[in-house]
Amino acid sequence: MLIDRGYVEVRPLAGGLDAWVDAGYPVEELTG
Amino acid sequence: MLHHLIELILRYGVPLVFVNVFLEQIGAPIPAVPTLIVAGALARNGEMSSTYVLTAALFASLIADWIWFLLGRRYGYRILRTLCRISLSPDSCVRETESYFERWGMKSLLFAKFIPGFSTVAPPLAGAMKASTLEFLIYDAVGAFIWAGTAVAAGRAFHHAIARLLQRLEDLGWWSVVFIVSVVILVVLLKWWQRLRFYRKLRIARVSVDDLKAMFDRGESPIVLDVRTRGSRQRDLRRIPSAIVASSPEEVAEQLAQVPPSSPIILYCT
Repeated sequence: MLIDRGYVEVRPLAGGLDAWVDAGYPVEELTG
Repeated sequence: MLHHLIELILRYGVPLVFVNVFLEQIGAPIPAVPTLIVAGALARNGEMSSTYVLTAALFASLIADWIWFLLGRRYGYRILRTLCRISLSPDSCVRETESYFERWGMKSLLFAKFIPGFSTVAPPLAGAMKASTLEFLIYDAVGAFIWAGTAVAAGRAFHHAIARLLQRLEDLGWWSVVFIVSVVILVVLLKWWQRLRFYRKLRIARVSVDDLKAMFDRGESPIVLDVRTRGSRQRDLRRIPSAIVASSPEEVAEQLAQVPPSSPIILYCT
């Protein structure tokens, strides 16, 4: 969908949020 | 040769339907619909019992789905991720399945078997979402009945055409077996090839968490989009710092309205 809208550099994050958390990188709490 | 095969189907028809449906529902790439259609046609000709065929399909499906449901309940999203790894893309697979569930709830089990891929992923997702066992079994049983019933009804409706096709294959003798086996092997190989190609492409296109962290550390600021479903976000309220939250295509479009198309965008799910 993004590529159709003209965005040329769209990349998925391998492993998603779980991989980010497992790597010990910082996260923030969602509010609202 | 095919004559012997049909004899075999007639003799072991119901157990054969049971094994075929069970293997398909547990995740093996062995389609059960053709077997159910042929069984329906044979039932119309009085050579099998539609009731037994449907009962076998129903129980086989329920047992396989219940195993996945229990695994989902025990191992949560990990089992779903493993199962989705067999599919084209683990992220989109989990997300799409979740979307169906968020939209339709347990009712999605009523049509899950008609959607390739979703059929096997839906039961462990229901388990991971801690759905009620009784509710799951009821919806799953109705869904399995609709699915198997449709195939058997199609077989009954087109029994003349199916009989002619079987006769033609029988006339071909051994060649019919060679033909059927070749078609099955070709289809499986084609699917694997497509999957491998897509997966390789996806792997090249992906960005690792270390790369993303390095981008942040270098002061680059890629647009990070949290495209998890609402339910998924409610279960885990964390996000990657500064990530923009957008669940639907409309929200994504709204959030990116001011972002130039040359900007790098990184998407993530669970």
